[in-house]
Amino acid sequence: MPEQPHEPEGAIAGTGMGAAMDLGVSEAETLEGTAGGPGGTGPAGRPHSLWSDAWRDLRRNPVFIVSALVIVFLVFISLWPAAIASGSPLKCDLAKAQDGAGPGAPFGYDGQGCNVYTRTVYGARTSVTVGVLATLGVAVVGSVLGALAGYFGGVWDSVLSRITDIFFAIPVVLGGLVLLSVVTSNTVWPVIGFMVLLGWPQISRIARGSVITVKQNDYVQAARALGASDSRILLRHIAPNAVAPVIVVATIALGTYIALEATLSYLGVGLKPPSVSWGIDISAASPYVRNAPHALLWPSGALALTVLAFIMLGDAVRDALDPKLR
Amino acid sequence: MLLEVRDLQVEFRTRDGVAHAVNGVSYRVDAGETLAVLGESGSGKSVTAQAVMGILDMPPGRITGGEILFQGQDLLRLKEEERRRIRGAGMAMIFQDALSALNPVISVGDQLGEMFVVHRGMSKKDARAKAVELMERVRIPAAAQRVRDYPHQFSGGMRQRIMIAMALALEPALVIADEPTTALDVTVQAQVMDLLAELQREYRMGLILITHDLGVVADVADRIAVMYAGKIVESAPVHDIYKAPAHPYTRGLLDSIPRLDQKGQELYAIKGLPPNLTDIPPGCSFHPRCPMAQDVCRTGEPPLYEVSEVRGSACHFWRECLHDRDQ
Amino acid sequence: MTATSEPILEVDGLVKHYPLTQGVLFRKQVGAVKAVDGVDFTLHRGETLGIVGESGCGKSTVAKMLCNLERPTAGSIRFKGEDITRLSGRALKAVRRNIQMVFQDPYTSLNPRMTVGDIVGEPYDIHPEVAPRGDRRRRVQELLDVVGLNPEYINRYPHQFSGGQRQRIGIARGLALRPEIIVADEPVSALDVSVQAQVINLLDRLQSEFELSYVFIAHDLSIVRHISDRVGVMYLGRIVEIGRDAEIYDHPTHPYTQALLSAVPVPDPEAREHRERIILTGDVPSPTDIPSGCRFRTRCWKAQERCAREVPALAVPAAFRDVSGPAAHDSACHFAAEGQMAAARDEDGNGPG
Repeated sequence: MPEQPHEPEGAIAGTGMGAAMDLGVSEAETLEGTAGGPGGTGPAGRPHSLWSDAWRDLRRNPVFIVSALVIVFLVFISLWPAAIASGSPLKCDLAKAQDGAGPGAPFGYDGQGCNVYTRTVYGARTSVTVGVLATLGVAVVGSVLGALAGYFGGVWDSVLSRITDIFFAIPVVLGGLVLLSVVTSNTVWPVIGFMVLLGWPQISRIARGSVITVKQNDYVQAARALGASDSRILLRHIAPNAVAPVIVVATIALGTYIALEATLSYLGVGLKPPSVSWGIDISAASPYVRNAPHALLWPSGALALTVLAFIMLGDAVRDALDPKLR
Repeated sequence: MLLEVRDLQVEFRTRDGVAHAVNGVSYRVDAGETLAVLGESGSGKSVTAQAVMGILDMPPGRITGGEILFQGQDLLRLKEEERRRIRGAGMAMIFQDALSALNPVISVGDQLGEMFVVHRGMSKKDARAKAVELMERVRIPAAAQRVRDYPHQFSGGMRQRIMIAMALALEPALVIADEPTTALDVTVQAQVMDLLAELQREYRMGLILITHDLGVVADVADRIAVMYAGKIVESAPVHDIYKAPAHPYTRGLLDSIPRLDQKGQELYAIKGLPPNLTDIPPGCSFHPRCPMAQDVCRTGEPPLYEVSEVRGSACHFWRECLHDRDQ
Repeated sequence: MTATSEPILEVDGLVKHYPLTQGVLFRKQVGAVKAVDGVDFTLHRGETLGIVGESGCGKSTVAKMLCNLERPTAGSIRFKGEDITRLSGRALKAVRRNIQMVFQDPYTSLNPRMTVGDIVGEPYDIHPEVAPRGDRRRRVQELLDVVGLNPEYINRYPHQFSGGQRQRIGIARGLALRPEIIVADEPVSALDVSVQAQVINLLDRLQSEFELSYVFIAHDLSIVRHISDRVGVMYLGRIVEIGRDAEIYDHPTHPYTQALLSAVPVPDPEAREHRERIILTGDVPSPTDIPSGCRFRTRCWKAQERCAREVPALAVPAAFRDVSGPAAHDSACHFAAEGQMAAARDEDGNGPG
């Protein structure tokens, strides 16, 4: 569709100057564009769907390949940490405290004499668990609430939107300090629960907007004219077409949840020892960073790399799923 | 001569391969003349115009050949800076969708005035006065008050008038109007076309009218170039073409308009679909849809045969086509 | 195709006002968009009623109410005598089977994530009583064949088709439940000129094949004339003139219809010099603020004081009440009269476009 990809919509585009003459003010369709007609597309043309197009883009995107490899590796070590690290992360020998690299401990030892390499490897499990589960929870709660509000509209929509606004006003770290400090359980669950509690409005807002956009398509009207039930319309017609932005935002958010877990653990309200978490290790290593920088460096590096990998993956997915960038 | 396009070729790289959007288009426009470029979506009519204006998105577009002579200068050889000076002052464009072509957060007066500030170096105050004058020219009621209004405060027809005012602000020698009235209602469409035609006469501009509407063409054009699959298949003075088209595609378009004496009968319909531009049929690109196609059409690409001094048709059987109509 | 049979659909006093509200939680109504403001018409079995009008005249809203996609604010829509605006649940679902819609934009009216087979077969999922499960695939393929598509395309996705083909898919979906009425809202306006004729021919053929009644909504006057038995002209939420196609096109008596017809570009360059055109001034008033009396008076060259006071009724105007002839049809104008152009058009026997 050669006439279609970038229909210039400028004012007197000729002048090419000043905001008033800005090209591409909107994506409005012109007759020659998408609304117009078959153009050069015969029945054989463009046999792709959004997903297969996206997948094709992703496979060729080096950012995606690198971040996906990192993530696959992370998932692997969080499932089978023993495969690459021998010994227990809790087996520490104070005699070796702050020692540098040694046999079986390529990253050296931390202030408690624990093997930094082993702890960093085992810490991945916490990060990946928190990241994945919090994202799943947020995505499920957020998209269900957002989709219902967007689809049914009216009072529920207004109420939900206001609640969303309130949640957006809560500072995440402060909220974590307050809420999690009363929790005694030393598992990942309170942390995940807290993230879902504060995270869903972000997704619900995206899902709501996406559903409202999709709802306006004629195929939704067509289904309604056939007498389709609300649940059929939502599940079969709206959800598959509205899910892409949610996936994008959720993937990017996954990275930030991992960072948030580390932050909360660092502040002492997330996981606490004897749990193994990069946040705990960073917290523990920071007082003697001058003497043993390696104890801080490795968990921080692993954390940064993990967060970066997920955010880059989200970015790549967004580029691939956003038809406007094509 | 004002503008001459010679053998222009434009292609687009797409994920499905190279789309040949414009394949050797030549046309000319004189001062004071209206050339209608008629075609369906994908015919290359807009791409040609964008190449002339120099607003083609490159990439994915690429001009692979040809010349665009504007007042004797080949635009394709000019530097971007020089072309920019020609745009607006030498040639201007009117778009279909005035709402998206105007900036929603700047008042129309400022948008009109900016032309004068940028190109003529006028002061803001003088530019504002000019803007009011222009709005009066395109007959926007109460222009002096409305000059401060924003685009959304105007109706569709009024916005298209503002677009026209903007295009004509610097009195360009050539105006390209891309489906200027397609988005408008019939009664408003008539107002806007009339205004455009009148201003064109007044300024003696060359006008290229890009459209798919055979009715609009018949109303205002002097000459028509019919495009199909990136080529001009017929080019003729407007009266000749409606009387007796010399290309089966043109004939098909004219015949598919519902007419009173055919009520209750089937409409004539051109069979099939416009071709995929990444895979244009060999020979005459219209042959798979053509009722007159012979073997030669499948292999030999027809040149633009000279039907008369002012007329051309890219059909091997243009004589038969003309003849059919006479009977 | 003349329809003298019993009415299948009677629309009476149909109104749709969309409230304009202010405030977030405590909404208060500050006005209303009067999209449809009192529309009456009847549709007979086997007939095509064309509805023309410019954007914003409410014609699409009428279509939506006919298909129960919008609830009317007031008025009734009787299908075979039963008011469908008051139905709900099972009874509504049953009526829906009989009134189906064909949409304007073939690019947004088909779910891009569903195959053609799923799209055309969905009506059977929703109304399982119509076709036994094992029979559906065959029926879907039959439908594709009927609308001129290769039945083997059943597993393809909409984006693999061109606009015209997609519109055929939409029509096949509309036919699946064997409806008696099809409401077509601008079914060809998004298509290329050369493809429009194909779709119009298809609709024409299907009408006789399936004994359908059409409500055909469009802004293209020549296409409406080609396909319609009767035509209603809408302006600002009301029908201002309605009658048989020849009555409306050759003997319009409402000034708006006259202006509308004269503004249509005629594909004949010979006509442009000696053609009488009425160019209306100004724009259509906002549907939130409809003029008093006759709603067309703000743009009408015939308007007088009476027009601001009295709402003209949609009836045969007094001037034509005693004559029989094509000019004697319903027209909502106090000063209804045939224009000169009507006479001129009679001579060459050719309507606009």
